[in-house]
Amino acid sequence: MTSTGWSFVEAAARLLARDEREAVLGDLLEADENALQGLFGVLSLVFRREAALWKSWRPWLAGFGVALPSSFLLMGFSLSVSWSYLTLRCPELLQKSSLTLGSGSLVLLCQALLLIGWSWTGGFVVGSLSRRTLWASTLLCYSPCLFCLSRFRVDPLSRFCLLLFLLPAIWGVHQGLRISRMKLSWAIALAITVTALMLPGWSSGAHHWWAPPRWTLDWVLCWPAWYLVATARRAGSKAGLGGSDGLWSGHREQQTGMS
Amino acid sequence: MLGEFEYLMITAAAGLGDNAYGAAIREEIEATTGRKCSIGALYTTIDRLETKGLLKTWMGDATPQRGGRAKRMVRVTPKGVHAAKDFYDAVTRVSRGASWVANRTGSAP
Repeated sequence: MTSTGWSFVEAAARLLARDEREAVLGDLLEADENALQGLFGVLSLVFRREAALWKSWRPWLAGFGVALPSSFLLMGFSLSVSWSYLTLRCPELLQKSSLTLGSGSLVLLCQALLLIGWSWTGGFVVGSLSRRTLWASTLLCYSPCLFCLSRFRVDPLSRFCLLLFLLPAIWGVHQGLRISRMKLSWAIALAITVTALMLPGWSSGAHHWWAPPRWTLDWVLCWPAWYLVATARRAGSKAGLGGSDGLWSGHREQQTGMS
Repeated sequence: MLGEFEYLMITAAAGLGDNAYGAAIREEIEATTGRKCSIGALYTTIDRLETKGLLKTWMGDATPQRGGRAKRMVRVTPKGVHAAKDFYDAVTRVSRGASWVANRTGSAP
């Protein structure tokens, strides 16, 4: 096998787990296969591994149930938060909005907390459901972002205000990858807080007859928080409710079979 | 019930004994069946059989002929032996009376 050809095979084998990579590359060397056969063999194994992951419902839910719809809606909400902030900073806009500085600050605080809550819980669910298919969920999240960024023209806002949700979402994904499930009491507290923060928005704002009601869109963003409650409850019933201290009831390392 | 390729793999691994690992099993299957065995099919089937509890695998020693890379060793479990025997018995039973079987016990037209 030539060194150039072998480097392609080794690069492709990086998509495999470390132990499997060792075994497969060793087998190819021992069988003295040429680079093309080796590359085809490694890629066929990578493809089979990836296809096996997608037999589960988890990556589908993470990608098409959370990442894709949430990124669209959270970009819109990030814009709303940015606009509220701008209103507070600009006296003319504040006067037009019929808000006082105090009530405007409260609205902004609620919106910011809601944005963080929605983004974090969505990210956590994506991270915990699609550990090995995170690349697909990431792609499904970033595609709408790139599309909207390229078309965003609202003066005087920067186009990057659309991406306010990304930081808490990435933090959530990181936690979801690291930790399996939240402790039940914390999950309930989080879900109730996020739901409570949603309520004031339902009674305010103009609504077009052709647009879906605000609460339906809010629930698309809110269900990950209640999903965390549902999964935490299951973990609690197995291991004994409230058996561990702190925010988390289990670590990822204990879940060897999750995709 | 095992699949055909699963049976081939368990039988090859059982025949190789302590020397059963990826490349050796692949070579054995290719030599006995005359069919190509891809790395992808080999390792996904090993994983499936291990999940079913029919095989046990572990990382073995590295050898110079493998570029210093470790082998994935394979051992057939008692459950795997039982499953392979069941498959063999079923094939033997269903083959009775078939025209290509040398000593037919059943009647065939």
